[in-house]
Amino acid sequence: MMDARHSTCVAQATRAGRIAGVPRVTGERGHAMLELAVCAGVMVSFLAGTFQFGYTFYIYNQLVTAAGNGGRYAAMRAYRSATQQDIERGAAAIRNMVVYGDTQPGLGAEAVVPNLTPEQVDVRWVPGDPGAAPSAVDVSIHQYTVDGVFRAFTFSGRPSVEFPFVGRFAPSEHEP
Amino acid sequence: MFLLLAVMGMAFDLGRVYIARNEAQVFTDAAAMTAAAKLDGTAAGVERARDAVARLPMRWNLGTQEFTGIVVEFSADGVKWETNPKTVSGAAYARVSAPSNNLEITFLRAVGGPSSFTVPARSVAGSNPVRLTE
Repeated sequence: MMDARHSTCVAQATRAGRIAGVPRVTGERGHAMLELAVCAGVMVSFLAGTFQFGYTFYIYNQLVTAAGNGGRYAAMRAYRSATQQDIERGAAAIRNMVVYGDTQPGLGAEAVVPNLTPEQVDVRWVPGDPGAAPSAVDVSIHQYTVDGVFRAFTFSGRPSVEFPFVGRFAPSEHEP
Repeated sequence: MFLLLAVMGMAFDLGRVYIARNEAQVFTDAAAMTAAAKLDGTAAGVERARDAVARLPMRWNLGTQEFTGIVVEFSADGVKWETNPKTVSGAAYARVSAPSNNLEITFLRAVGGPSSFTVPARSVAGSNPVRLTE
């Protein structure tokens, strides 16, 4: 009877991780602390990396979408090139489309990708035959930094898209 | 450990899959429009369309890899598609497929997931006016 009670007590104590009534030895507590420190370090590193890459990929995906939308818009809008200023105004509208999803964003408009500014969008017209419409338009992102909290990644020259110019060629018109 | 790898796989591998899918779709959109813009009812136009698609500078897998195995098809009605159309005069639509974007999976394969994932994309554009139709 005594043996049975004793063995039950030992089994419970073993499950609990220590012998009932016997205080934990100081060295054991140290081991547990050390194990926790090592495991926590590894776990936190993994989780931090997971968050960092997950967030960076999420932002990059948004950049691809924004550049694609801007490229599609640039391909189909009228190319007005009466003066150099008109060409620059057209490029500004394309940059706004990439950043805000709107060619003429209102005051306080929010960027579709956090911290993306029109200055970080490159718009380059690929020249066609002399005196003719451009053959294509390149839209790319440069010097955009994703702050992944633990580490920052900077994208330059990517994502980049090239769409053929299929809009109206208006060399003597001004941008409205 | 299993759960940790699964969570990492979801964030890392699925994140890359979504990016690749998006990159491939933007590429096929641009390629279909490029091909449709070159169609002029001549055999030379069809050849120019193929050549222009092959020269598109866009890349995938975070902008690091060139697209391969691109298929360019043409159609007069948007229903019957041919890679080498017999009657080029009626070709009014271009369809571009990027079927072989094979993305290597890093973490999810350790928890029983596939070792690679194919992210295909396809777009159709009409030539008059040049617009995406699908």
